[in-house]
Amino acid sequence: MAEAIQKKLQSELEKYQQMQKDVSKSMSARQKLEAQLTENNIVKEELDMLNSQNTVYKLIGPVLVKQDLDEAKATVAKRLEYINGEIQRYETLLKDMERKSEQHREVLASLQQEYQRAQGRAVGKV
Amino acid sequence: MAVNLTELSLPQLEGLKSQLEQETEFLTSSIGQLKVVQTKYVEAKESLSVLNKSNEGKELLVPLTSSMYVPGTLNDVEHVLVDVGTGYYVEKNVEDTKEFFRRKIDFLTKQIEKIQPALQEKHTMKQAVIEVMNMKLQQLHSQQTSQSSMTKA
Repeated sequence: MAEAIQKKLQSELEKYQQMQKDVSKSMSARQKLEAQLTENNIVKEELDMLNSQNTVYKLIGPVLVKQDLDEAKATVAKRLEYINGEIQRYETLLKDMERKSEQHREVLASLQQEYQRAQGRAVGKV
Repeated sequence: MAVNLTELSLPQLEGLKSQLEQETEFLTSSIGQLKVVQTKYVEAKESLSVLNKSNEGKELLVPLTSSMYVPGTLNDVEHVLVDVGTGYYVEKNVEDTKEFFRRKIDFLTKQIEKIQPALQEKHTMKQAVIEVMNMKLQQLHSQQTSQSSMTKA
């Protein structure tokens, strides 16, 4: 009896640890997005300060390519939109994961109690 | 903080201390990084002063690689290309570029000023935790010695 519960506890614990790993992976992905958002916001600010006399170049590989200011602005705006969307997506994902690991913690706690009880019974019998 | 430090147990204090240590370390390295970037901007801004009318048309050596240079002449002392981030470069005149660097340096100064008080706060908190830990350890020690002397007696 106690052994069966112990096995279950072990497998649940492994599942939980895997889940925590996923959470931290998503966390760091989110942080990376945050950094990209900041950088793109800075670029947007700079581009907004320019006038038509300034020439904008885009670095593609090792080559600088002349680009239209409006086009560059549009690209950055689109990128910001995309990053914000991604952050939102990760936000909901993380919330969901948080909820799931909360539930999992409860399952683990009750399993642990069950295991302790079973162990106590086994000792009592002997 | 609402929690009274003296009510925490030694292992809890130990945990709190290492957490605060991590946080101070993170903040210190952040400030360090910001300062490095700031120095880069300051240097870039200073190097702009070479681009003036009296240097126009002068000869200079252009680095093709870090170990090979080719001769060239300084044709344009009015325009520079500035990296504004995410692969975008903008052609600006020297005055605007100086303004750009000034803005960046100001921005970084503000960020550093934002972090500094947080770091200070964490530091004081860590100090307080260490103090309480020492106190508890001493208490424990005196208890033990008084106990052992009692058993001897």
